Amino acid sequence: MKRLGSLALALALAFLPLAARADLNALAAAAKKEGDITWYVAHYTSEGAEDLGRGFTEMYGIKVNVVRTTAQVAYQRLLQDLKNNQTICDVFSSTDLGHYARLKSEGRFEKYVPETTPKISEAFRNFDPDGFFHTTAAGLVTLTYNTAKVKAEDAPKKWEDLLDIKWKGKVSTGHPGFSGYVGTWVLSMKKLYGWQYFDKLEKNKPQIGRSINDTVTALNAGERQVAAGADGSTLFSAARGNPLAVSYPSDGSVLIISPSAIMKGTKNPNAAKLFMEYLYTIEAARINAKHYGIPLRPEVPSPPGAKPISEIKVIRPTVAEVEKGIPEVIEQWRDTFGN
Amino acid sequence: MSVTAPAIDTMPVRPVRASRFDSTWLLWIAIIAVLLFLVVSPFVYLVITSFQAERTGEFTFSNYATAYGRARYIDALFNSLKLGAASAALAGVFAVPLAWAVARTNMPGRGLTRMLVLATFITPPYTGAVAWILLAGPNAGWLNRFFMMVTGAEAGPFNIYSFTGLAVVIALYSFPYIFIFTTAALELVSSEMEDAANILGAGPWRTMRKVTLPLALPAILGGLIICFLEAIALFGSPAMIAIPARFNVVTTQLFQFFGNPVRVEVAAAYAMPLLGVTVLLVLVQRLIVRRKGFVALTGKGGERRPILLGRWRWVMFGYAMFVAALAVFLPYIFLIHSAFAKAWGRGFLLDNITLANFRFILFEHATAAQSVINSFVYAGISATIAVFLTLGVAYIVARRLIPFGGVLGFLCVAPFVIPGVVLAIGFYAAYAPPPLALYGTALILILAFTTRFLPVGYVNASAAINSLNPEMEEAVRVLGGSRLTALRRVVAPLLKRNMMGAWLLIFIPATRELSAAIFLYGPNTKVASVMIFDMSEEGNFERLAALALVLQVLTLPLLWLGQKALGRDFMLRRTAT
Repeated sequence: MKRLGSLALALALAFLPLAARADLNALAAAAKKEGDITWYVAHYTSEGAEDLGRGFTEMYGIKVNVVRTTAQVAYQRLLQDLKNNQTICDVFSSTDLGHYARLKSEGRFEKYVPETTPKISEAFRNFDPDGFFHTTAAGLVTLTYNTAKVKAEDAPKKWEDLLDIKWKGKVSTGHPGFSGYVGTWVLSMKKLYGWQYFDKLEKNKPQIGRSINDTVTALNAGERQVAAGADGSTLFSAARGNPLAVSYPSDGSVLIISPSAIMKGTKNPNAAKLFMEYLYTIEAARINAKHYGIPLRPEVPSPPGAKPISEIKVIRPTVAEVEKGIPEVIEQWRDTFGN
Repeated sequence: MSVTAPAIDTMPVRPVRASRFDSTWLLWIAIIAVLLFLVVSPFVYLVITSFQAERTGEFTFSNYATAYGRARYIDALFNSLKLGAASAALAGVFAVPLAWAVARTNMPGRGLTRMLVLATFITPPYTGAVAWILLAGPNAGWLNRFFMMVTGAEAGPFNIYSFTGLAVVIALYSFPYIFIFTTAALELVSSEMEDAANILGAGPWRTMRKVTLPLALPAILGGLIICFLEAIALFGSPAMIAIPARFNVVTTQLFQFFGNPVRVEVAAAYAMPLLGVTVLLVLVQRLIVRRKGFVALTGKGGERRPILLGRWRWVMFGYAMFVAALAVFLPYIFLIHSAFAKAWGRGFLLDNITLANFRFILFEHATAAQSVINSFVYAGISATIAVFLTLGVAYIVARRLIPFGGVLGFLCVAPFVIPGVVLAIGFYAAYAPPPLALYGTALILILAFTTRFLPVGYVNASAAINSLNPEMEEAVRVLGGSRLTALRRVVAPLLKRNMMGAWLLIFIPATRELSAAIFLYGPNTKVASVMIFDMSEEGNFERLAALALVLQVLTLPLLWLGQKALGRDFMLRRTAT
């Protein structure tokens, strides 16, 4: 009896993926009847986002209009769309969690739980218990530096090291008014050290770009030497021969969980659902890993040179803190840094 | 017969045939309606919106309270005024000596100088700004590196990310306006005046100071004002340079009001001073330029000999090349270098050369190539509409076909006093929401571009029509043709060249317009300028340079076409409206 039971279970388990596969096939067939999808995305670098969009097109023949900007610009664009009753964006992928809390409470999302959810690493599953938005990328804000100008032993080891006078005129950051990564980082620093952290940082005259990926350029060009950057875009650039390295701060790298959601009223609901499924495929995880993002699928190894996340001390503000906190720190930042 | 014909023509409705319905009236009415739609309504909406509460639409002053309620916002206003003044003054320093040397002296390379000014003129300010980030970045900028290499110093003296840096960059790409105005005026100053000064014992320098320059002063002031207005209305360069330099100007602040939450109403209120300053200064400028009551500038008599500079001519040539180096040579060298570089900071090494940037923007990027196509299509449609519309209006005005036709002429030139950013906010307020719901469509961009460049079209069209003798059209009418036939078969063919010139003068700047596009584009209607701006977010200067170069290279055949059809430096002569 027991054997029979386990046999049945094994059979069920064996057919489960098939059933899911059948669903996906139906979804793909329905999706192909719809138009191109438009993807507002702040998750990756432009290159990474374009690569992922192309991957979807190659797999299903559906074109993706990749609109890659910083999180706040994407959100600004989306709000204008909504205000004018237009549904242009099909899938919205921001790096500011607050956007999801707000949009969800306003009923702007289409509920959809990807079939493939059970296959991604457990840590990333069921981020929103109600199933409106789902983790589709994760990354860290860490200390980064130019190895041609800064020796490893001199590199900053913890966040407060950026305040050292020796980095005056040598620090690079993004802008919380644009980047969701930077906004979350600023919020985390404020939580750890209070706003004085930024009053002091201001004295070091950081160069403020917009996207967090701008720090990579500033370091590569030798314009700046140390930065609060993203591990992914920094390591990706380093792997191509640029003099960059990551220093995981002892007081905690800031973990950024970035979700995606389908917009309510999308004209391409099936294509949008299919795209959500696609973001959970091994193929997408591979592309993501190629760009030094943390792969969501356990089958795909972490990018070479990146420390596995289990070995890194990470900190992370809660969704509620982000929702309330980021608009506040953007204003504070503008008051402290001038714009 | 022919004597009475013009008299008949000036009548609004010709009494003899009043009973017969002339279908061209429909066309005139349509033109008026289009002008109301393009010019009047966005402006009215802008003003109304600034007094409306966000959700309810009730009358309120709170938008103004919000817009001017923070020190930071007020600072931005003053920063803009300071920036305008500094940029205009600097542009004058670049332009006036060059204009004088080209128009009045025997400096070598005068043709070359004109060509380089044209090259400056067709470089979009944001492209120039990017080039100067590469040149004068405080640590990695090439000028600083060169300085450190030569002097062995720890740091270089240049910092693009500063108020001065921004002012210099803006001045470098707006000085052609002053150059155009000033050369035009100087070319009219007759040598007799200068001779008189010479005979009375003044040397060439003193003559220039006391006679020539004062005669050209109204033109110079006019050019300075245009530069000032250009500087305060600019969005791209401040957004790229002022954010890292950590100050705000009006246009970047306006962009923030379009952020989270979207506050169009506050933006409208905040745009008012920009509009006010512009209207005021344009009036002043018109007054100055018109008040050239000097016979020398209007009369035709007198010969014009170049002033012989002797050895000084090489000094002048040196200065001209210095300005050209700042505006053209250095920027383009490093733009081209970046476009072909893996990482621009790594320098001129063979292993740093790649075509990947071009491949990425042309083939791998989902929307970059499309954005260039969008730019050209929208600009082409806008230029076409603007040319025909202004031709119609200029014709109505010149032939006095309707009462108060002058008002229509005024409406066509009015957008000149509306900064691109403000115009865009007006268009957004008027046409983005229902009932028209043009938000995110190509149409709203095309309409905004059309409106923006109406003045250029009108000035050209009215000059051209005034050069036509009405008798030719009379002949058509006498033979029984309608006015439309006269327009189609006589006027348009005669003005073909002028219209093509006007078309190019609108088309070329429209392909690179950013200040209005940044507020009106949608994800599927991104134009090249917005794409370039987006790429600057991540600091991808290599790809950005590649895209900017593609845009410039695509413009060259058009310039060539224009020069073939309309003569050398047609851009420089005709843009001076």
